[in-house]
Amino acid sequence: MAEPGDIAIGIDLGTSYSCVSIIESGKTTVIPNEWGERTHASVVSFLEDGTVLVGNSAKRNIITNADNTVYSAKRLIGRFYFSDEVKKAQAVMPYKIIEGENNSVRIQIRENVYSLPEISALVLKEMKAIVENYLGHEVKKAVVTVPAYFNDNQRQATKDAGRIAGLEVLRILNEPTAAALAYGFGKDITQKIAVYDLGGGTFDISILEIGKDVFEVLSTAGDTYLGGDDFDDRIMTWLAEGFLKQNGIDLRLNKYCLQMLKEASERAKIDVGRDASAKIHVEGICQDPNGKVMNLDATLSEAEFNRMVMDLVQRTFKVCDEALQSAKMTAQDLDAVILVGGPTRLPIIRTSVKHYFGRDVMAGIDPDEVVAMGAAIQANSLQDAKSEHYLLDVTPLTLRVGTVGGYTDKIIDKNTPIPIERSKSYTTNRDGQERVKIRVYQGEANKAAECEMLGEFEFSGFRIGYRGEVRIEVTFEIDTNGIVNVTAADVETGQKTSCTIRLSSGLTEDMIKAAQEKNSRTTLARGEAAA
Amino acid sequence: MDEAFEIEAQALAQVLDELDYFQVLKIGQNASPPDIKSAYYRESRAYHPDRFSTLPAGDLKENIGRIYKRINEAYVCLRDDTKRTKYLADVLGPERQKKLRFVEASEQELKKEKEQEVGTTPQGRKFYMAGLTDMAAQRFASAERNFKMALTYEPNNPNFKAKRDEAGKLIKNDMSIR
Repeated sequence: MAEPGDIAIGIDLGTSYSCVSIIESGKTTVIPNEWGERTHASVVSFLEDGTVLVGNSAKRNIITNADNTVYSAKRLIGRFYFSDEVKKAQAVMPYKIIEGENNSVRIQIRENVYSLPEISALVLKEMKAIVENYLGHEVKKAVVTVPAYFNDNQRQATKDAGRIAGLEVLRILNEPTAAALAYGFGKDITQKIAVYDLGGGTFDISILEIGKDVFEVLSTAGDTYLGGDDFDDRIMTWLAEGFLKQNGIDLRLNKYCLQMLKEASERAKIDVGRDASAKIHVEGICQDPNGKVMNLDATLSEAEFNRMVMDLVQRTFKVCDEALQSAKMTAQDLDAVILVGGPTRLPIIRTSVKHYFGRDVMAGIDPDEVVAMGAAIQANSLQDAKSEHYLLDVTPLTLRVGTVGGYTDKIIDKNTPIPIERSKSYTTNRDGQERVKIRVYQGEANKAAECEMLGEFEFSGFRIGYRGEVRIEVTFEIDTNGIVNVTAADVETGQKTSCTIRLSSGLTEDMIKAAQEKNSRTTLARGEAAA
Repeated sequence: MDEAFEIEAQALAQVLDELDYFQVLKIGQNASPPDIKSAYYRESRAYHPDRFSTLPAGDLKENIGRIYKRINEAYVCLRDDTKRTKYLADVLGPERQKKLRFVEASEQELKKEKEQEVGTTPQGRKFYMAGLTDMAAQRFASAERNFKMALTYEPNNPNFKAKRDEAGKLIKNDMSIR
């Protein structure tokens, strides 16, 4: 049995909500906070007095303290400042998104500037505090989940967030894999299953084969630009257009009106899913040019809602096609389909999934909690040398290196089991060359511009010789976290060369240290139970 | 961890670079796909790094990691029929030592191969395409002439040669029917 201080927790760090779980006397338990809430809004609100509020009580500040309340940070983590996702966020988020060094994204709150891992670290700190409060002692280790389709930059940034929060991150685990683990663990079943994971901001599908003690991911595919938020956006557009037509006022032009609109849309989505119709009423959403206060009123029917989001739902099935094809399977070969993520509660999703896979979805799985539970199981087994089961996971994206003319060359294919490594030889192309520069990408296009750049690796310290004389073997490794490591060695001398890794948006060791300082000094305010 | 395993792991790490993928997975060269899968599961059960996460960093842990990466590499190659066939030919061939680790042709090499197929010279390509049209129209004698012409521009193109021979055979068959 592990020491109490050695307990490792499982954290589902979601776009909209997070959840934390541990194994307690052999049982997987989701830990509620002091108000009994089992899932916690991934919202961080910076209060005037310097304290920070995280969770459902912070979520209520999105409107009242809009400039200083950060939500959906996961949509931005590990992205470049120039990416479309960041541009889109800047248009709709009330908090200030600014550019940091090396094309990174930073968030400005009053006079303070935060990196995205620092924001996520505050959510993780809250999850850690919830468990510590429950157990009455400190916890130091965690497994943190990410969408399976997250690239290296996003995984690395999430791992940094864990470290900043004072956690030893035992593993970055894929969300669908965690869900499959929670579903199949200890059941002694042999099945081929699909995990359909539609979260707040991302969509993943994984195909797995599970046996008594083995969980093998056969393929995974996803879309990190598709989630429940996009469903809210559709309702928002519909409401705003309707209001514009009726009153000649565009609510989207004011960030405060926009937040109220967003909140109303999210509520309408949940209501329409549960009651087949939603009444929307927002008191005093804006004022007309004469200063008269106006209300927003509308009724959303299920048919109307389904029509609005049908193309989004269809998009998920394109991704499912891809995953099944990679696994060399058809929907008929599957034994079970598991739904994960809040939006999968919507009837439109449930019926469409049922139709696509030609079978009923697995009942009795809580789509909000199953990922955290899987993370807790894995956290526990990584601490236990006698653990019997093992996960065989894959890398979701093809790893590539840049070649001449803006093209790339494949190094490691997508859906390759990890950990894995592959070496490639390079020769110098100038006399007396001292450095070799390699650009590394992830993506499915052979043009570099259509892939995500992970970084530029510069090697130096090898022998200096004539052109073509020095051969350097570069080894690309993808570890069990799905994180890429690159090393190089001089082929003839076997001497490892020094390697500077410049991940354009990543944090340096010094920055992480400083952030850890800042994080440990930050006091989390205790909010109150959500109404 | 038991001592026998430690000795086995260290010994395996020593000779890892001399083993082919069949040896890494401890299976015969004629193993069936289910055999390969169960061997992969068996070796994963023994060497998956998750099972050694509590092991302190060091030589043993590093070697286990290296072995497991090779197990994955072997599985990726042998589970794919096309790759497996090519790999088997590689390790049975004279350059076995150099080809123990399977390397796929890069996209550029594949492009080159593809080009080779339809010709690398404009004239070669022109006669080759004309030959293909003749083949489709069952004008085998004319096709053979066109492929021969194509070969004068690219005497070493294996694809042109194959097509010439194919056309040649079909002419004979054609004659015999008549």
